[in-house]
Amino acid sequence: MPMFKAPFNGYSVKFSPFYESRLAVATAQNFGILGNGRIHVLELAPGAPGVTESVAYDTADAVYDVCWSESHDSVLVAAIGDGSVKIYDTALPPPSNPIRSFQEHGREVHSVDYNPTRRDSFLTSSWDDTVKLWAMDRPASIRTFKEHAYCVYQATWNPKHGDVFASASGDCTLRIWDVREPGSTMIIPAHDFELLSCDWNKYDDCILATSSVDKTIKVWDVRSYRVPLAVLNGHGYAVKKVKFSPHRRNLIASCSYDMTVCLWDYMVEDALVGRYDHHTEFAVGIDMSVLVEGLMASTGWDELVYVWQQGMDPRAS
Amino acid sequence: MASQPAGGSPPKPWEQEGNTSGPNPFRPPSNTSTAGSVEASGTANPGEVVSSVNRTNTAANMNALSRPVPTRPWEQQSYGTTMGGYGSNLGVNSGYGSGTYGSALGGYGGGMYGGSSMYRGGYGGAGGLYGSSGMYGGGGMYNSSYGGTMGGYGMGMGSGMGMGMGMGMGMGPYGGQDPNDPFNQPPSPPGFWISFLRVMQGAVNFFGRVAMLIDQNTQAFHMFMSALLQLFDRGGMLYGELARFVLRMLGVRTKPRKMQQPPQGPNGLPLPHQPHGNQNYIEGPKTAVPGGGGGWDNVWGN
Repeated sequence: MPMFKAPFNGYSVKFSPFYESRLAVATAQNFGILGNGRIHVLELAPGAPGVTESVAYDTADAVYDVCWSESHDSVLVAAIGDGSVKIYDTALPPPSNPIRSFQEHGREVHSVDYNPTRRDSFLTSSWDDTVKLWAMDRPASIRTFKEHAYCVYQATWNPKHGDVFASASGDCTLRIWDVREPGSTMIIPAHDFELLSCDWNKYDDCILATSSVDKTIKVWDVRSYRVPLAVLNGHGYAVKKVKFSPHRRNLIASCSYDMTVCLWDYMVEDALVGRYDHHTEFAVGIDMSVLVEGLMASTGWDELVYVWQQGMDPRAS
Repeated sequence: MASQPAGGSPPKPWEQEGNTSGPNPFRPPSNTSTAGSVEASGTANPGEVVSSVNRTNTAANMNALSRPVPTRPWEQQSYGTTMGGYGSNLGVNSGYGSGTYGSALGGYGGGMYGGSSMYRGGYGGAGGLYGSSGMYGGGGMYNSSYGGTMGGYGMGMGSGMGMGMGMGMGMGPYGGQDPNDPFNQPPSPPGFWISFLRVMQGAVNFFGRVAMLIDQNTQAFHMFMSALLQLFDRGGMLYGELARFVLRMLGVRTKPRKMQQPPQGPNGLPLPHQPHGNQNYIEGPKTAVPGGGGGWDNVWGN
């Protein structure tokens, strides 16, 4: 299966929503603590095992997350450690990149998510406790959502509702927002420890999953949020990212500081349906392809990016 | 941004399916763009720059959370408040110097993102050790010499208990970068204090990020520390064994054995420097094997 060795520690990997063979990877030097960052755009070679880098962009600080535009096939947005949000167009020559840089966050930007239904805006979440809403055609952010009392690790759009998003924060709450409302519409005290990630079920817009430092993943229904629908135990350390499958209703992928990537079916009793231990350092980035069913990608602090088909060994070449 | 299919990305797999779980609690989506829908709702607030000052205040006002919220590792309360006196020597915009900013130990970056008024210069630095003493912190000091167009800078620093250090600093923009600068000075290379503050900012960033990592990964950190302790423990045992071995090689017996046969030199004489030579000399014949070639009986015989 294809594998790519980056010079820096991996932080995030995302499949392109336009091309099944294209990925973007966010990396950071020295584990994201001090140093530069780099964004790689990778192409999977057709038929042959292997990944080639089509372009890379250097940044002056760590890159913690990256996402593809849903409206322009060559545009990607990066969340940078210096608080800036940068937009790159891979169709333009490297000297003209980044095409935009927004400096509004007061601290590290930790996640970025492009609106999948309206395709005209994106969200960033930051360690300055805020979430910001941006549109491609605006010179500045449209709105800032300030309610969390600690770092916001991830903000994710609802896959079916263009005005609704969720945010997971270190203040141990999950908040649901409607961009037209002045405040959050729902506060779910989801875990007893910091939340690190959240994602919506792609087939049921009321269900979402959260992952936390308490090593668990919880699945919630916003219509009855007092108790979780499911609690998924199995990771040995904090669960860094959680992601619902774009193809299967009940399937969840997660990656953790225990260096494994896990697959879960939250509707069955033995929820853990797959475990991959191919990373030799913290696994911190994961994605599932929207265009190819079962195609997964992960990255971690071992500077490796793996792309593999579910059920296969990521290391098998 | 040019090349793209007009309709955006291909349809998602879940878009072909209806929502089967019944009604949802969300308001129906607007038919405009995201920006349009935010603006129509009156909640738009374009281009808001987030500073740590704003952050702390709004969190306190709007947060409906009842549980205690962890302190940010990079702005742990340290000795900032006890150093006192910040805000007293600020320049024009005293608003940034006092209150939350100061008490958060000139919290990281509080001054850096000082909002729009920073462009009018004269905003002084944080409290803490230096700022409050009036040595460096006075915005007024720089304002007076630069005609108010160049922001003063000040800084506060304190060694705290938490991460070992907590620092705060603020910088005014250079005169030349001020769009309203009547003198239009060219930007000068950063002075010593500016570069020093930048280095300090790097240090704050560093410790902040390390702390965040530990935050996210408490169990791993705990395991790491216990592994380290265990290693030291093992190391101590190993060192003990090693020391015993070396001492033995040097001939030091940690436990002197009794009833031992003395080693013999040529002619059956005890070796020089044998520590127990005398004793063995006396007792030797008694313990010698009768008839043995090395026995003491034969020394005087023949």
